[in-house]
Amino acid sequence: MGMDGLFSIFPPEDFTLLCVILGLPLLGAFVNGVFGKRLGKEAVSLMALVAVGGSFMASCAAFFMLMQRQTETEAARFVWHGWKWLDISGNGDFQIPIEIAFSVDALSGGMALIVTGVGFLIHLYSTEYMAEDDGFHRFFAYLNLFIFSMLVLILGDNLPVLFIGWEGVGMCSYLLIGFWFTEEANAVAGKKAFVTNRIGDFGLLVAMALLVWHVGALDWQGIEAGANNLLTPIKIYPLGNGVPAWLPDFIRGPLTPEDPRGVRVTAATLVGFALFLGCAGKSAQLPLYVWLPDAMAGPTPVSALIHAATMVTAGVYLCCRMAAVFVLSPATMATIAIVGLATALLAASIAFAQNDIKKVLAYSTVSQLGYMFIGIGVGAFATGFFHVITHAFFKACLFLGAGSVIHAMHARIHDVDRSQDMRNMGGMRNFMPITHLTFLASCLAIAGLPLTSGFFSKDEILFKAYTSTIATPQVSDGEWIDRSTQVTWPAMQAWTPPEDLGRWIYTLALLGAVMTAFYMFRLYFRVFWGEFRGWTIVRGWVAPAGGHHGHDDHEHDSDEPLDGPKPHESALQITVPLVVLGVLAIFAGGLNAHAFFHSHLFDDWVAPVLATASSSVGEIEGAKEMMMPLLLPGIGAFAIGVGGAYWVYVMQRGEPAASFVEKVPWLHRIVYEKWRVDELYEETFIGAVDTLGDMAVWVDQYVVDAVVARVTSFAVAASGTILRTMQTGRVHAYGAVMVAGLGALGWFFIAPQAVVTVLADDDSGVYSVTASPGLGYQYRWDEDGDGELDSDDFGDKARVDVQLGRSEVRLVQVEVKNALGFRSIEQIGLFRPQRDGASDGLAGAAQEAKEAADSAAKSQKALQDIQRVLQQAGGNLPGAGKQPAPKPVGGAP
Amino acid sequence: MDLVIALSPLLAVGFGGLMLMLAEAFGKPSEEGISKTTGDVVDAGAGRGAELGLGASVVLIAGAVMAVGVWIVGPETLEGVADVAPYLLIDRFSLFFTFVLCLGGAFTALLGGGYLPEHRIDRSEFFPLVLFSTFGAIALAMSGDLLSLFVGLETMSLGVYCLIGLRRGSARATEAALKYFLLGSFAAALTLFGAALLYGATGHTDLVGIGEAVATIGQPDSTVAAMPVLLALALTLAGLGFKVAAVPFHQWTPDAYEGAPTPATAFMAAVVKTAAFAILLRVLLVGFGEERLMSWGTGWPPVIATLAVLSMTVGNVVAGRQESVKRMLAYSSIAHAGVALVGVAATIRSTEDATASVLFYLLVYTVSTAGAFGALILCGSRGAEAVSYEDLAGIAKRHPAAALAFSLFLLSLAGFPPTAGFFGKLYVFQSAIDSELYVLVIIGLVNSLIGAYYYVRVMVYMYMREPVPGAPVAKPMSSGMVTSAIVLAALLVLGLGILPGVSLDMAIAAAARGG
Repeated sequence: MGMDGLFSIFPPEDFTLLCVILGLPLLGAFVNGVFGKRLGKEAVSLMALVAVGGSFMASCAAFFMLMQRQTETEAARFVWHGWKWLDISGNGDFQIPIEIAFSVDALSGGMALIVTGVGFLIHLYSTEYMAEDDGFHRFFAYLNLFIFSMLVLILGDNLPVLFIGWEGVGMCSYLLIGFWFTEEANAVAGKKAFVTNRIGDFGLLVAMALLVWHVGALDWQGIEAGANNLLTPIKIYPLGNGVPAWLPDFIRGPLTPEDPRGVRVTAATLVGFALFLGCAGKSAQLPLYVWLPDAMAGPTPVSALIHAATMVTAGVYLCCRMAAVFVLSPATMATIAIVGLATALLAASIAFAQNDIKKVLAYSTVSQLGYMFIGIGVGAFATGFFHVITHAFFKACLFLGAGSVIHAMHARIHDVDRSQDMRNMGGMRNFMPITHLTFLASCLAIAGLPLTSGFFSKDEILFKAYTSTIATPQVSDGEWIDRSTQVTWPAMQAWTPPEDLGRWIYTLALLGAVMTAFYMFRLYFRVFWGEFRGWTIVRGWVAPAGGHHGHDDHEHDSDEPLDGPKPHESALQITVPLVVLGVLAIFAGGLNAHAFFHSHLFDDWVAPVLATASSSVGEIEGAKEMMMPLLLPGIGAFAIGVGGAYWVYVMQRGEPAASFVEKVPWLHRIVYEKWRVDELYEETFIGAVDTLGDMAVWVDQYVVDAVVARVTSFAVAASGTILRTMQTGRVHAYGAVMVAGLGALGWFFIAPQAVVTVLADDDSGVYSVTASPGLGYQYRWDEDGDGELDSDDFGDKARVDVQLGRSEVRLVQVEVKNALGFRSIEQIGLFRPQRDGASDGLAGAAQEAKEAADSAAKSQKALQDIQRVLQQAGGNLPGAGKQPAPKPVGGAP
Repeated sequence: MDLVIALSPLLAVGFGGLMLMLAEAFGKPSEEGISKTTGDVVDAGAGRGAELGLGASVVLIAGAVMAVGVWIVGPETLEGVADVAPYLLIDRFSLFFTFVLCLGGAFTALLGGGYLPEHRIDRSEFFPLVLFSTFGAIALAMSGDLLSLFVGLETMSLGVYCLIGLRRGSARATEAALKYFLLGSFAAALTLFGAALLYGATGHTDLVGIGEAVATIGQPDSTVAAMPVLLALALTLAGLGFKVAAVPFHQWTPDAYEGAPTPATAFMAAVVKTAAFAILLRVLLVGFGEERLMSWGTGWPPVIATLAVLSMTVGNVVAGRQESVKRMLAYSSIAHAGVALVGVAATIRSTEDATASVLFYLLVYTVSTAGAFGALILCGSRGAEAVSYEDLAGIAKRHPAAALAFSLFLLSLAGFPPTAGFFGKLYVFQSAIDSELYVLVIIGLVNSLIGAYYYVRVMVYMYMREPVPGAPVAKPMSSGMVTSAIVLAALLVLGLGILPGVSLDMAIAAAARGG
């Protein structure tokens, strides 16, 4: 009964349960934001927890309903249509309605569960972690608002709605990074995240524009249905069609549309690249990853929720959403995989040298996101997405565990930087057993211990990287004529990736897996094993000169405990989420354990949603048999990495690392300084922008300010002053102005207005001339163009049709008399072109002729002008330009 | 009974005004309030501003609700409606305006309830005057006959003359009131003269009859002369141009707006202007809607377009030169009248869409400008009024909520998305494009840019400037009524900006039946 009852309350086509899922966090944000200060901490916590918890339960209900409806082949999808937002003009004469609509299917349903579920745990955690903070209610308002925005992003049924959520999570992220905005570094980090994300958002906007143009839809179903329209070739070089004739040949050559060097790509590639730019910004991929490590300046729960578990995976989610578009372009797919791989390796290498516990985790996150994109890039969308889920569990657990450690350290040290420094930790397993165990579980998962969640998701990605192939799409069957230039292009082939690309990705990603295992266990051993090194540091303790900048472990000369509390295990609100997440980190892999248990629940679950995309993804021969052989190196990577870390940091007490640093200090230095990528950006892009800015300032100062601004401001100021002097404050002056205005109005109605419109039809040679009608107006005409009006009497005839022969020119006149007997004459030059086919161009000539007549008004000179214009137009007929046939101006509706 | 239902918004406002007047006349002056809130004047009912303001706003909101009710019932289905036509036309067009006018009046009453006690001019005649004036405005918007038009116009205006001069002791207020009265009488005389000419030429006072008579001009058996009709058109345009404050009939505006107590200024900017546009649309489309008068060459559209260009340009250019924020808002209201006139000119081709765009624009403008004046009131208190830009320097630091609200309304006035003002401008310019008035649209857009300058300038002062040490700064007042007016306006500004569909559909329905 239960399910049926749910379906009768929330029918799939009007699935208002989505409003509950979305509405609760919004309500929480509102209540906490507006009344939070007065409510007190308990009420704020309760509100925030109930909001997210309720949303989680609703998501669960939606999820079960989806399970009920989904079959093996057909995806279930529940929609709620809010209201029509706006109309966009498509390519052609139709409107694309953009709705505020939300939908849930296997993909978004799963993601919503993660966001609300992990979100709830992190909210619970934060009630303790932030308990001492003055901005308690503000923090929870932001956090709830973030959950709401994230749900809008996930559940939105089209790209514009997703974009609202996309910007919303970004905004919450900046707010929370800068939560302690009194600290300079945090404000700078927030700014950096903002700028980098703007670059990505630009890509997303471009992608939307391209989709509107080529597909004519922005909602998921419409995009998937029309995705094949994206297989049209687009010329991307040379740009444009018109090339100025005066350019020298060697410049003109490559710019002409006929040039053989022209480059074409499919629209799918353009859209794919633009979308991926957006994803790279949000999900911290090369070259836009630099903001994420700095973003960890915010409170630790924020790092766990936003910058590890949910928001940063939005890019992966979008890639899965738009999978049907991405698979159409093997070039984009290969790019995504390679960028993911490069990011994974680069970030892993940086993580080797960091001492800040959160920095290590930050780079680890960037690196893991790289793995997800490898999965996307090789066509393993479901696997990539599965890694999103397992990563959400173990990385959230790691961050929260780190937070727990920092919390304990902070109670002793009272210094943000030093309580996050691994060099002050050690032996924490003795003080914090639960934190230790859960942290270990997550470390094992991320390093890929067989049977943990990370093992099943990461090694599946490696396996798919080796075995998957992307089908080359059929772009165009034959020759293709560019609509605008009429240039014929040969048939186009889509780019095909080299055959051994998959093998290279597999090998290098394996290397990354070794690195991951090593740096994670370096972190683990240094924090939880050995002796506690923080005894010497207590409140008010000042580092001896130079000591703070040392790169190694030479700070613990004395083990004598100084004043200050011992580190101790955190409260229940912190340990419960840790335990839940730790358990999930170990066991969640069972959902998709291809390797040992042949379980593919998760793959089956999302398969119907990804069906269109998956049909373009194949696998090499004998892939099934390769599973075990390809898995063993993965297990080896885990063993080598963990074993190496154990040897270096436990057995040898870090000596090999220290001596390595001493031998090649430059290498350590450059890795520690994150390969100086920030500095590189500083020098190149930001430097270039600065230079551009300086130039703009110069132009602004000496051209705009000196000339343009002076002139305009003088003009505006002068007119303002003149108008102000008219504002004398004297009532009779005002009255006089009114009378003058009335006089002008009256004059307009008393004076006869001869206004004429011409409708030209060059093919038949009939030109109808209509004089604008007026109350009490009468007309007389000179139709034959002899310069004499045809009749002495005025009549009611407001329109004449003139028949012209080819190349004939005629000057028609009309005289208008109004009710008071005032008269006015208007002359109209008419011209019919020589031949057909160029009618477009020559209607323009007629228009020009008319304009010439208007401007030269009422004299014989008009005739000469017309003839001159016509000679020019006639002598250069094909080049007469494409002016649309003149439309009537004015007239009654 | 039908008739009572149909007229209920008008009756409610009228009776409410009478009741309030009685309450005021027999009410005792508030004991503790007198010295504090009324200055040296002790009248019956003095010092009761908060109560009376609340009462007046309840009456006006009831009027608005009744208008919505009649809209839902459908004025076509009410039989008694024909009995009062053409003096009062109860159609969707007038109901839409009734709603907007009541809304504007309610804002005024709420603002007045907070402003008057704060500035010690708590004289209770303010509120009955607002009600009677709104009554006149509704009657004006409903009228389909020259006689009721004039009566409505005068009922509305007389109240406003008094509202401006409420601060009796102030020479400036008296001067403003007198100026507006003299020029207003002049404008009313022009309108009346136009009406007389029309009656003389056509033998009709009802707009439909006039329209039909004008249509016969040029036919052989017509007895209607063209010239008086054209002169009447010019006179009517001048008279109504005065009420909507279109250049060159605008010069009273800055003086009157500045001299009046700020709630009265909001009333003039929102209610009076809206009502004048209602009757302007009705007169032009029904009385002068004849094909030859709506032609581009020789009819009223080019005149309206010229007034629009002049109003936008002069309004914006001079607004940019003001140092007083209130005066800036006065000129900005001239510029907004220009934008609405663009929509009126656009009726030349797509009549219904353009009319609907004007209706929507007026709704948006009413809400935004009432909000802006409300925020200006909120930002100041007695002895520390917000007058010049300098007064507002750094107010965002001291009172973030007031600054935020002010910014929202300014953005709406400037036409930034996602506020209501954006869609208001968008629809007007869209209908102008549909009517191929491209030049008008380009001028409008350039003017929007100029406008953005001085609106954003206020925000720059609020958020980025520090007050000059020692200089007087505005100190926000605290009043539940002003706050609630601002919250209501802010909700509407955002609501109309995010969800323009519903009200736009209503505007289209109103235009379809009224035009």
